Amino acid sequence: MTSSELESQLVIGAVLFALGMIGFLTRRNLILIVLSTELMLHGVSVNLTAFGRYHGNPQGQVFTIFVLTIAACEAGLALSLILTLYQRRKSLDVYLWGNLGEDDLPVFTGGGTAQQTKPLDPNADLPHLTPAGRAPATPATKT
Amino acid sequence: MFDWLKPHDVLWLIPAAPLLACLWVVVVGHVVRRQYAHRPVILAIAFSAVLSYYLLLKVVPENFGTPVAHDEHAQEHKSSDHEHADHKEGDHKDHDQKVAVAKAKPSTAISVNVFGETERDGKVTPVPWIRIGDPQGVPTLLVLPTLRADAMTALMLVMVTTVSLLVAIFASSYMKGDPGYPRFFAAISAFVFSMCMLVLAGNFVLMFVFWEAVGLCSYLLIGFWFKKPSAAAAAKKAFVVNRIGDLGFILGIFMVWQTFDGSIDFDTIFGDPSVIARVVTMQPEILTTICVLLFIGAVGKSAQFPLHVWLPDAMEGPTPVSALIHAATMVTAGVYLVARCTPFFVHAPTAQLIVSGIGATTALIAAITALTQYDLKRVLAYSTVSQLGYMFMALGAAAAGKEFATLAVTFAMFHMFTHAFFKAVLFLSAGSVMHSMGDVIDMRRFSGLRKALPITHITFLAGALALAGFPLLSGFWSKDEILAIIFEATKHPKHGEFFKVILGVALLTSLMTAFYTFRAYFMTFWGPEKFPEEAGHHPHDAPPAMAIPLLLLGIAALVVGGATGPTHLYGNYLAQTPGLPAAHHHEPNVPMMIISSVLAIAGISLAYLCYVASPGISRNMKSGMSWMHTCSQEGLKLDAIYLRWIVKPLRLVAQISEFIDRWVIDVIVDCVGFLPGLFGAALRPIHNGFVQSYAMVMLIGLVVCLVTALRVLAGM
Repeated sequence: MTSSELESQLVIGAVLFALGMIGFLTRRNLILIVLSTELMLHGVSVNLTAFGRYHGNPQGQVFTIFVLTIAACEAGLALSLILTLYQRRKSLDVYLWGNLGEDDLPVFTGGGTAQQTKPLDPNADLPHLTPAGRAPATPATKT
Repeated sequence: MFDWLKPHDVLWLIPAAPLLACLWVVVVGHVVRRQYAHRPVILAIAFSAVLSYYLLLKVVPENFGTPVAHDEHAQEHKSSDHEHADHKEGDHKDHDQKVAVAKAKPSTAISVNVFGETERDGKVTPVPWIRIGDPQGVPTLLVLPTLRADAMTALMLVMVTTVSLLVAIFASSYMKGDPGYPRFFAAISAFVFSMCMLVLAGNFVLMFVFWEAVGLCSYLLIGFWFKKPSAAAAAKKAFVVNRIGDLGFILGIFMVWQTFDGSIDFDTIFGDPSVIARVVTMQPEILTTICVLLFIGAVGKSAQFPLHVWLPDAMEGPTPVSALIHAATMVTAGVYLVARCTPFFVHAPTAQLIVSGIGATTALIAAITALTQYDLKRVLAYSTVSQLGYMFMALGAAAAGKEFATLAVTFAMFHMFTHAFFKAVLFLSAGSVMHSMGDVIDMRRFSGLRKALPITHITFLAGALALAGFPLLSGFWSKDEILAIIFEATKHPKHGEFFKVILGVALLTSLMTAFYTFRAYFMTFWGPEKFPEEAGHHPHDAPPAMAIPLLLLGIAALVVGGATGPTHLYGNYLAQTPGLPAAHHHEPNVPMMIISSVLAIAGISLAYLCYVASPGISRNMKSGMSWMHTCSQEGLKLDAIYLRWIVKPLRLVAQISEFIDRWVIDVIVDCVGFLPGLFGAALRPIHNGFVQSYAMVMLIGLVVCLVTALRVLAGM
């Protein structure tokens, strides 16, 4: 394996890593931030594999398997945390969670509006049909 | 009765009793049975008084030698230890006297060390208080807490404890109902302790400690009613002015330490005449310096010119305090110091001239000021200053020649002794007047009290007659002997002219003394009966607790002088002090007696004329010579001069310092304190709570570390 081949493989890894980093630092959606993290990990894995191949050594790929395992666990944890955060504010916006800053600094809003709650349903006071598959709550069944 | 008491135990018991009483009142008496706080104190002082009399009559005379100093037949008990750095408990006897200077008496002093460790062979090593220098060999400065008693000490202790006891009994009635009653008695007890220790101290440093302690107790007692601004200011003034004198005193102690090879003990310096004789042959001028410095200390403590300004203001304190401290005891500490250092002064005639001169100046200034005061206590205060001037005039008269030294000291201390009694009775009578008049002491507001306050009237009259020097009373004997010794000094070839001036001043002052004393007496007790509104309907005379001390002191004022002066009881006793040269026999100077009697009676008559017979005279004189009147009234403007030239500039310096402290130094310190805040404010925006910015910062940091690491690795 020549070094120019190695170079191009490393570039791929670097590009993946850079994209992931940029995405992590600029995205507003919590899930997309996790996605970008995973992308960074993949970039690193490509790097490892490339060096492994360059040195003719399976160590690179072995370590990649470790990394992927860790990535999976971490993704599970991250998604459960995101779920919890979503239950609080009903939104996946990361700008809502800036309260741990210094008291005299303004909370960072980033120039967009944060969707705190779902828009109110304008038809809430009209009668609704029960969704299909469920028994309606008629006075006959409530005895 | 006292056989079981070893002689030297008396020495530490005398000050220990008031100290224990003070501690008791401070710890327990402050909260429990507050109105009986006087009992432990009076008991303790009575105990000390009894022991002082025992010391005077039994213990100290055991160490007296024969009055005529024949060396071969004198007692030649060699002491069992000759190391001079060691003090054993028990008596020291002097060595065989073969010194050329003066035939010193083989009488000795008893010393006891307050803390001593007994070693196995029964020898007691004293535990030093200060020990600086070579630990194995001879130390550079060794101060042992030694108490030392000789004839002079015994006389002073008797005077101090007797007057203190009577004043304490008086005060238990005078101060009744005062909210600070226990504090008063604690301070009185502490004062008596300090004064006894001052008199009993066996070396200069210990004496200085208690010199300061009496100053402290004086501050506490003058400022007893500290909520009154004038009292607090007077206390501060007394302490500060005293402190100025103490500077001279401590410089004197340093010089003594330096001159006498690191020793500051009285026994070492004054006990053996050869020690001083050696210094005289080598450098006699140093003794003059030492004497002047020690005298500056006495000037501060005994309120001599120019440091006399604190004593009249000290009348802001309660009257028993004035009687005790500023008449009988504390102000006599200066006289005691100069008398104790007589072996120095004998070799320093210049210093003695200074002592006399300042004494005369003070006596004159104080007498002039007392002529026009309206506050009865101030008249007595200035009178105290004047009489202290007399004592120093006498002490300085020893410049006439070495053979007069003992006489001069004797007469000065005798005047101090009689003065304690008659001045105390005058102050306590003034206190009784104040008590009856509802704390009014301005003589213009009351008069004609002799029918309303008979006991007070009699005792005040007794004291006034004694002070004025009426023939055959105490003051007459002591003052006349002072005039006699000054007259002897005028015959000296070199200093005769100086002493003629001093004699003139002394005679003039005694005339003025008689005048102002009886002016006060007539203004208060004669004339139409007039009471101020604060007195209530019926001014009552002193209750028994106040009357009995008054009467006892009055009797003492009348007879003590005659009983102990011309009979030479006092003189012979005092002459047994080790260190004083042999006494010259002295016949009473009858012409001087007649002159002083005439002056006294003239003063009394003038006062009678001006204030009783034709009261208009004083008013006319006042309007005629108004500038002299104001000058005299304001203490010859000395207070005003001090205020303008010393106090105001110092206050200005203090204000400048305060300004610099608040606006320059504090600002610098605040700026330094401000810097971390600035630093923090600069870095704080990093913590904005935004996770992604945290991630960015971590990334930047990681990049910096990686780049540095790579550069280091590449540089390798």
